[in-house]
Amino acid sequence: MKILIADDSRVMRQIVSRTLRQAGFEGHDLLEAADGRQAYDKAMEEKPDLIISDWNMPEMTGVEVLRKLRASGNDVTFGFVTSECTKEMQEQAEEAGAAFFIIKPFTPERFAEVFAPILG
Amino acid sequence: MSLQYLPTAADLNTIAEQVWASYLDPEGVSPFVPDDTAAAASDVHASVSITGTWHGHVVFACSTVAAKRAAAAFLAMGEDEVSDDDVIDVLGELANIIGGNVKSMLPGGCFVSLPHVVSAPADANHWPSAEKICELAGTWMGEPIAISMWHESESEGESSQ
Repeated sequence: MKILIADDSRVMRQIVSRTLRQAGFEGHDLLEAADGRQAYDKAMEEKPDLIISDWNMPEMTGVEVLRKLRASGNDVTFGFVTSECTKEMQEQAEEAGAAFFIIKPFTPERFAEVFAPILG
Repeated sequence: MSLQYLPTAADLNTIAEQVWASYLDPEGVSPFVPDDTAAAASDVHASVSITGTWHGHVVFACSTVAAKRAAAAFLAMGEDEVSDDDVIDVLGELANIIGGNVKSMLPGGCFVSLPHVVSAPADANHWPSAEKICELAGTWMGEPIAISMWHESESEGESSQ
């Protein structure tokens, strides 16, 4: 599977990649985006199967990326990994069509729980 | 949760435990040890500001040794391989994670800034109108670490950034 990891933090993109491996999801094609604009552009160009996105990013927030993708007819599996988790954010994510909401800090166990149904 | 609720040192400790369990001590062999009498020395600090219905700052401060150790743990590298940029990125991410979790405990309508990392003690922050409202001090493998929350007064908060 092709997985796009969108986060403005280089460290966090690295940790998401590592945690995927630690959770047993190896051998996938991992792409990265460092802001919301890049995330949207790569989603349209590269057509990933899954997008794991931060919420707060420069250029466009994660939920703006998701809304724009859905508005353009793209139904890629999309979810959030964020350190902020308010009820309002979770509601916005659900309404926009997010498949999951992972709160930082996260563990490989949490990744396994969320991604097993998606990545198999 | 009441709209008046503000996170306490106990809440900061809960967040710290999660951060250590996830990234800094996943094996559970070198935990953060809360200790009010720990040395206050902090060579570097990373902070995020929170604005909106509550206005203040969340600060992660530590020694240079702890900062390099944190970067090495985060990036799964040896401490001698860690660059200054790695340390800055990792401390910024730590402040972001802790600040994001703190924000979740605050009234709705708050926003978290991008992190700010400075190689100077936390006291070097220039927040003339900010007051420290809680602090979690302790050690990690003998090195001092402190996480604190600062509240900006309503009247001067907007001009002190």
